[in-house]
Amino acid sequence: MDVKVGIPRALFYYQYYPLWKTFFEELNTEVVLSDYTTSKTLDEGTKSCVAEACLPVKIFYGHVMNIKDRVDYLFIPRFTSISKKEYVCPKFGGLPDMIRNTIKDLPPLIDTEINLRKSGKNAMKAIMEIGGFLTKDQRKIKNAYKKALESYREFDEKIKQGVLPSDILDRKLNVIRKSSEPELNIAVIGHGYNLYDNYINMDMIDKLRKKGTKIITIDMVEEEVIRKNVSVLPKRIFWNFGSRAIGGSMHFLEREDIDGIIYLMSFGCGVDSFICDLIERRIRRTKDIPFIILTLDEHSGQAGMDTRLDAFIDMIRWRYRNDNNISAHG
Amino acid sequence: MKTSHYLGIDVGSVSTNLVVINEKDEIVDKLYLRTSGQPINALRNGMKTLYQRLGKDIKIEGVGTTGSGRQLASVIIGSDIVKNEITTHAIASQKLVPEVRTILEIGGQDSKIIILKNGIIYDFAMNTVCAAGTGSFLDRQAARLEIPIEDFGSFALRSTAPVRIAGRCAVFAESDMIHKQQTGHSIEDIINGLCEALVRNYLNNLAKGKDIEEPIVFQGGVAANVGIVAAFERAIGKKIIIPQYYDVMGAYGAALIAKEEVIKNGKNTNFFGFENTQNDFKAKSIECNGCSNMCEVIEIASNDVVVACWGDRCGKWSAVKRENQSVS
Repeated sequence: MDVKVGIPRALFYYQYYPLWKTFFEELNTEVVLSDYTTSKTLDEGTKSCVAEACLPVKIFYGHVMNIKDRVDYLFIPRFTSISKKEYVCPKFGGLPDMIRNTIKDLPPLIDTEINLRKSGKNAMKAIMEIGGFLTKDQRKIKNAYKKALESYREFDEKIKQGVLPSDILDRKLNVIRKSSEPELNIAVIGHGYNLYDNYINMDMIDKLRKKGTKIITIDMVEEEVIRKNVSVLPKRIFWNFGSRAIGGSMHFLEREDIDGIIYLMSFGCGVDSFICDLIERRIRRTKDIPFIILTLDEHSGQAGMDTRLDAFIDMIRWRYRNDNNISAHG
Repeated sequence: MKTSHYLGIDVGSVSTNLVVINEKDEIVDKLYLRTSGQPINALRNGMKTLYQRLGKDIKIEGVGTTGSGRQLASVIIGSDIVKNEITTHAIASQKLVPEVRTILEIGGQDSKIIILKNGIIYDFAMNTVCAAGTGSFLDRQAARLEIPIEDFGSFALRSTAPVRIAGRCAVFAESDMIHKQQTGHSIEDIINGLCEALVRNYLNNLAKGKDIEEPIVFQGGVAANVGIVAAFERAIGKKIIIPQYYDVMGAYGAALIAKEEVIKNGKNTNFFGFENTQNDFKAKSIECNGCSNMCEVIEIASNDVVVACWGDRCGKWSAVKRENQSVS
C-alpha cells in the first residue's frame, strides 16, 4: 500500500499545494488533504493551540487534528524564508515545534527547513531532504521536483491570468451574480490563507462576487512588477508577504481599472499590523480611491462583515452615480 | 382619507427605533425602545404603540429596515428595502444638516465615522473586533455605579480634576475605574475620565488618518451623553452638532430610502400591515447537523409557519425561506 502523506489545508497550502501534491505523488505516495475548514476545525484548533496564536495558526492546528490519525507522515515544513533577504512570519518557522509539543500521538513530521534567504539554491537542498523521508533514489527525487515545478508554474499562470487560487484548488466556480449594476474591480489585500479560506473570511469573496464585483489579489500581480514597485521604498521590508502586499498595492494604485481596495487582516497578526498601516498611509497619500480595512477574529456572527461590505460597495456605486450625474449636466 | 406615510425601522443591539415620515420627509412620530435582548418583542411593542397613536390616520406606503437586526425586522414587518446602517445614517444626517462633512456615530455595539464629500459618502470606518467605548459598555458602567444612564453625562460635566482612564479596552477601562475609585477619586472625575478615554479611543482608532471637517454631526444613542459630547469638543476643538432626532437617525434614513425606493419603482409596499405584526412570531435556534460546520440556524415562524431562516453557511436553510415567501 502507498505511504500516505498528510497535508493540512491551511496556511501555505493556498500558495504551494500543486507543487507539493505533484512532488509527493511522483514519489509514489498518496497525498491526503484535510477537509475544508469548518467550525469544528476552529474548535479543535483553539482547544489544542496556545491561546496567543493568531486565528490562521489555530485553524492550522484544527487541520492537523483532522488528518493526523489517517496518514503515515505529516508534511509541516519549517518555513524560514521563501525569498532573498526576507523572512516569513516567525510562527511558520516554529510551526513544527509548536505542533510537536502540543499535540499528542502524531505521525512522524516531515519538517525540513526551507530557507531561501541567502540563495534560491537552498531549495534543492530542502527538496532532497524532504524526498529522503520517502526514498533513497536521488534521481527520482530530482525528477519529481521537476514535475512539481511544472504543476506549480501551470497553477501560477492561471492565477496571473486572474483566477483565484481557491477557484483552482476548491473547484467551485459557481457563484451567481445578483447585481444588475456594472461590474466593479475590487482589489483585496491579505494573506492567502485568509483570502482563500471561505470559513475564515466568512465567505467574503463569494459575498463580494454576488454584489457584482471581480476580485483581484496580489497573487495575480507579476513578481517583477511587485519588486519594481517595492524597490522605491527607502528600506527593505522584512517580510516576504509585506513586500508583496506593498508592491502589489502600489501597482493597484497605478491601475485605472481598480474601483476599490480592501485590506483583510487577522486580529493579532504582527505583520498585518505594520503592513496595513504602511499601505493605508500610501493609499491615502496617493489616490482618492475607496479603501477599507476588515479585521477577522474568532467571531462567527456575520452581521459585522456584511454591514461593512454592503456599505463599502454602496459607497463606490454612489460615488460613480454622483460622478456620472455631474458629467451629464456639465 | 388616510395620508401616505413611510416607516423606517432600526433594530440595534441596545435600542429598536421606529420612525414614521410623511411625504414631505418630516418625522411625524418616533419611538426609541430598549431592545433588551428581545428584538421581536421590541418590534411588536413598537408597532402596537405606533398603531394606537397613528393607525387610524395614516397609510404606510413603504418600509425600510436597518441595523444589525435588519433581516429580522424585514421578515416580521414586511419591508421594501433592507439597508446597512452606514448608508442610512448618512442619508438621515444629510437631510437634517445638508452640508454635513463628518458624521460621528456611536451606538450600542458599533461606532462609526462617516466622511462625506460633495454630498456623498466618501470614506467610512467602523470599530473592529472590539466594542469598547460603545453604548452597551457605558450602560454597563452606569448600572455598576447605580447611576441612571440619562444622568451619566451630567456627572462628567461636574468633574473638577482630570482622572486618566485606559480606553483601549473595555475590560481595562473597568478595572482602571475601580482602581481609581478605591483610591478615593470622586465619581464625577472618574466618569469624566471615562468619557475622555472613550473619545480618545474613538479618535485614535476610527478617525485615524481622516480629516474631521465641519459641519460635524454626532448621532446615535451615545450623543445623548453630554459628557461625551463635551469630551469630543475638547479633543477636536470644533463645534459638534447634535441633530434633533440624533437617537433615531438610522430609522429616519431607512424611512427616507424606503420612500425613494417605492416611488422610484412604483411598487406597492411589502408591508404586512399593523395588524399582522401582532401575529405570533417565534424565533427558534437549531444546530444543523448537515456537516461539521454545525451552523446555528435561526428559524422564524409566524403562527407555526416558517417564514425565514438564516445563519447557515451553505444556503440549505435560507433557500427554504425563499420558497415559502414566494408562496405567501
